[in-house]
Amino acid sequence: MQVTTKTLPPSLWRVRMHLWLKGMGQSWSTFRESPIGVTGLVIIVFFGLLGAFYPIYPWFMGKIAWDQETIQKEGIDLNIVYNPIFGVGNDPLLIKGFPQPPSLRHPLGTNADGPDVLAQIMYSASREFLLGMMAALITVIIGTFIGAVAAYYGGWIDTLFMRLADVFVLFPPIAFLVVVSALVQRAGIEMTHMLLALILGLLFGFGSITIVLKSQALTIKVKPYIEAARVAGGSSFHIIFAHIIPNILPLSFLYMMFNVTTAIFSEAALSFFGLLPSINMSWGLMLFRAHTQGWILGHQGAFYWWVWMPPGLAVTLLCSAFYLVGRGLDEIVNPRLRKR
Amino acid sequence: MAKYILKRLFQIILTLWIYLTIVFLLLYLQPGDITSFFINNRTPPEVREQIKAQFGLNKPIWEQYTNVMTNFVTLNLGVSFKEYPRPVWDIVTERMPRTALLFVTAAIISFCFGFILGRLIGWRRGAALEYVSTVSGVFLWTVFTPWFALLMIWLFAFNFQWFPLKGFIDQNLWPGVQQVADVSCDLTGGTNCANFVFNHILLTALVVTLILGAAFIISRFFAEQRTRWLINGSALAITVIGVFNYWSNSIGDVKVGGIFATRPLSMMDLAGDILYHMILPIITLTLISFAGTMLLTRNTMLESLREDYIMAARAKGLPDKAVRDRHAARNALLPVATYFVIGLALSVDGSIFIEKIFTWKGMGWTLLSSATDQDYPVIIGALVFTGIFALFAHLAADVLYALLDPRIRYD
Amino acid sequence: MALLEVKDLSMHYWTRKGEVKAVDEVGFSLEKGESLGLVGESGCGKTSMALTLLKLLPENAKILKGHIFFYKEFQPQTANALLGEMVNLVPQKANGRASTLGRLTRIEGEKLLVQPARNGATKAPSPVSFSFSEIAQVGLDLVPLREERMQRVRWKGISMIFQAAMNSWNPVYRVGDQILEAMQTHLPKTSVQQSKKRIAELFQMVGLDPRMMERYPHEYSGGMKQRAVIAMALSCDPELIIADEPTTALDVIVQDKILREMRQIQKQLHMSMIYISHDIAVIAEVSEKIGVMYGGKLVELADTQTIFERPAHPYTKALMSSFPNLKGEKKKLEALPGEPPDLISPPTGCRFHPRCPYATEVCKEKDPVLEVRQPGQVAACWNPLH
Ligand SMILES: Nc1ncnc2c1ncn2[C@@H]1O[C@H](COP(=O)(O)OP(=O)(O)OP(=O)(O)O)[C@@H](O)[C@H]1O
Ligand code: SF4
Ligand SMILES: [Mg+2]
Repeated sequence: MQVTTKTLPPSLWRVRMHLWLKGMGQSWSTFRESPIGVTGLVIIVFFGLLGAFYPIYPWFMGKIAWDQETIQKEGIDLNIVYNPIFGVGNDPLLIKGFPQPPSLRHPLGTNADGPDVLAQIMYSASREFLLGMMAALITVIIGTFIGAVAAYYGGWIDTLFMRLADVFVLFPPIAFLVVVSALVQRAGIEMTHMLLALILGLLFGFGSITIVLKSQALTIKVKPYIEAARVAGGSSFHIIFAHIIPNILPLSFLYMMFNVTTAIFSEAALSFFGLLPSINMSWGLMLFRAHTQGWILGHQGAFYWWVWMPPGLAVTLLCSAFYLVGRGLDEIVNPRLRKR
Repeated sequence: MAKYILKRLFQIILTLWIYLTIVFLLLYLQPGDITSFFINNRTPPEVREQIKAQFGLNKPIWEQYTNVMTNFVTLNLGVSFKEYPRPVWDIVTERMPRTALLFVTAAIISFCFGFILGRLIGWRRGAALEYVSTVSGVFLWTVFTPWFALLMIWLFAFNFQWFPLKGFIDQNLWPGVQQVADVSCDLTGGTNCANFVFNHILLTALVVTLILGAAFIISRFFAEQRTRWLINGSALAITVIGVFNYWSNSIGDVKVGGIFATRPLSMMDLAGDILYHMILPIITLTLISFAGTMLLTRNTMLESLREDYIMAARAKGLPDKAVRDRHAARNALLPVATYFVIGLALSVDGSIFIEKIFTWKGMGWTLLSSATDQDYPVIIGALVFTGIFALFAHLAADVLYALLDPRIRYD
Repeated sequence: MALLEVKDLSMHYWTRKGEVKAVDEVGFSLEKGESLGLVGESGCGKTSMALTLLKLLPENAKILKGHIFFYKEFQPQTANALLGEMVNLVPQKANGRASTLGRLTRIEGEKLLVQPARNGATKAPSPVSFSFSEIAQVGLDLVPLREERMQRVRWKGISMIFQAAMNSWNPVYRVGDQILEAMQTHLPKTSVQQSKKRIAELFQMVGLDPRMMERYPHEYSGGMKQRAVIAMALSCDPELIIADEPTTALDVIVQDKILREMRQIQKQLHMSMIYISHDIAVIAEVSEKIGVMYGGKLVELADTQTIFERPAHPYTKALMSSFPNLKGEKKKLEALPGEPPDLISPPTGCRFHPRCPYATEVCKEKDPVLEVRQPGQVAACWNPLH
């Protein structure tokens, strides 16, 4: 009798869905018990809200405080509207020449050129999220797929990808990214968030994550139900996608968290080195400007903390947050670390 | 073992080959005229021809490929654009030791700290302690390095003025130095002399490490604690006296003169100046990287504490400290030691941040500035060296693992 | 003369799902040189019992009540070491005084002062004094004993062969060194050479080549590891060895051989032994007394002969039914109907009642206590078989 496992009857899918939901529920209740993971999650939610509420902030401030900064120039038919992200061009009335400390109008003060620090932080938050998630997703998709395929087929495919992973592990990633962004710049290509996410995703996707996921997939490959599926006539494609990959997904998800950290960190670093001219606002760039314009170690004695503490803290906190969530998940996925 | 190392060497050559190919592809599959990589308008015409010939830039791509690969293998890396006509090899060998000294020192300190703390945290699993240590550990581990370094500089160098703000040597001190031993300094700031002194520091550090390491290994052959102390203590005393003697008498004299001369200087003053510039970067690096070791040690500790032999060790009535250090931590050490060596291999990454912020002109600084200046020969040279260094670190990690774990027999 | 006396001992584990009542009000005693077998289904708390005796418990475990008295002949010169500990003083037989449990508070000349436990009374009982010559034995109570003191009891007093004996070796040290480590901890006066000589002897005794001392655990076969573990357990001349299924991982022939050797060594060195197994035939071969555990409780304790001839508890009988006689062919265990009890919420009354063919109403409500059925046999059952 030919058993087709390829198309499961809908009821079976429902059962699977149900099991999956139940599993999620259990994972969530385990996760909730990990104060570390919850701390991370709280920080992530905080930055998520910051990013989500960005449009409201300038709108609201424009209504109550910033409207006085709208200048109607006499004689010239020109509206120069205060732009909280990119400043106001060269308008001498608005540029004070040095950063303004926090006030009611600007809760986190302004930069030397006039833009609002809090607005910049909020504006960048959603972009950092997007970049981190995209890059991590690409990494994890590649890593999971290669891990599963290398474990399933073994042989030269395995050797090829593992050697490749060795090479990628060898690359000091920041050094590599520095070179790549210099090259991209030279080639006249615009380094957008998407392109950067792609590069980051590819760079980390072929690296150590494939080794980890492959060894996990190997433990699943030898389970009896894989053999059963094979005997039942399941194609390799089916076995990889329906049996192996779903079982390594929890670990993939864990690595995704760590990779979000890496991606956000990398972007901030490249921006800080001034190597991403196409990304015109980000936390790293804010720090870069503060540093190169001398607001950190220049200007004898003055402590313009609002210019350089918020972006630095934001990068650090968001990176830590994803890492903490990763460690919290680790306690679920890795029973050896679990408390009884 | 020898067979294994041979096999690994072969693998390394293979990996290096793939790595170099990727570097080649990265640079050569760029759009536009390939020659513009190696030749820019600062390059004099006769050198253009020379470079073209050297890299075979007019030939078809596969011929270029073989050409470049032979150049890699023979370490013929060309000359820098920016510091023309300085050979890349010269630049790299000048910068590599600076990075190495800074990072090896910081790595050793942070390894010791991280391992000891991680061992404690893994052993005592209090909820509060665990939470605080993990969260602060993760914070330090993922802290945005340049920001943290700036913070450290702002606090300790700018605010308290305990340390110099940046750089490798004191710009007020060194221009007065005319000659160190038999090296005469260049007029601008004594880079030659600084390199000379620095290399002696490196040499000293190496010799001291070797002597102390040998003493430690020898002492392990004796069972008695007293004998061990005796051996280690005397080795330490000998090196301290030896180093002091060497630096005060044997290297040579410092000749000071000219309008910049402030006071008579000795060899040790100069070395002291360089070491003084190293302190803050090392503290910063240690703070950033010890947390990684700590968190990893904690995890490996937790795993090894679950093993049956820990229960057996406790059943034997060993004191807690012996169970923790001799049994749990000894096994937890295995992955941590590997991580340590591989972390060293990736130190070029960390050095980009630290060296940029502290203006410490090592490999990271070189890589970053050559990338921003589009000084391609130097970029390639730095990448090639980084790769080779990383590969050998991986080999070292394997050998170390085999030394630490008797189960592993490479044959 | 008693060596070990366990009284009313309870130990529970705390888990996510609830409290696991792994050892519940267990009591027995063991003479010097005697061998006791503990038998029961998987998960009935045998290992937990053994670990409790050594107080080698995980963080989530707690000894709720009871005493573990580890007896020694009283020697005046060692009395000082016991100061401040909970002890059970056993007077000379002829003396007629009752044995006294309490904290040893003071030593005055030739006298010991013991402060008896309060036991719920509002007023603290007055101290009891014993002169040295009156005391026959002192039983140190291990339950309240501090960890540092306990470390001295481990291996020197009570050593253990673990269920997963194969994994008892730390992979990074030589086997000989791991044994040496134990000896140097407990016998600091013995020199390294002497200790090594002793280890070599022990290796020979358990049938290992003494040169294997210098090898690492991974170079041993499973059986060799097991033998080496036995050698390690013997290394400090303990008074009691707890062997928790020391031979399960081995094939039957080797198993038999090792069992016989262990028995021989035990007799030869006049050690006491607690032998744990789920296989009553194995137990019968090596022990004089057998304790049957069910669901964290000791349900029957009797001489080997008696257990086999006239079991009193229905569970013992069920265990026995799979072994027609002592020397007979082993047949497959006739599975008892039903599941072993859930130790988080065990059945009320007698824990065996859901599976017991003799169960009556009283069994569901009231917990039976150990009662003497005949000399040398106690059982906890409302409807004993005799
Ligand atoms: N560390 C622990 N935490 C929680 N529960 C435990 C722990 N160790 C054992 N248990 C539980 O205690 C009960 C008794 O376990 P124990 O290991 O003592 O059984 P056993 O009689 O030795 O069984 P086996 O013959 O399988 O070795 C079991 O129900 C087990 O699930
Ligand atoms: S007490 Fe009742 S249920 Fe328990 S063993 Fe005896 S007869 Fe069976
Ligand atoms: Mg057991």
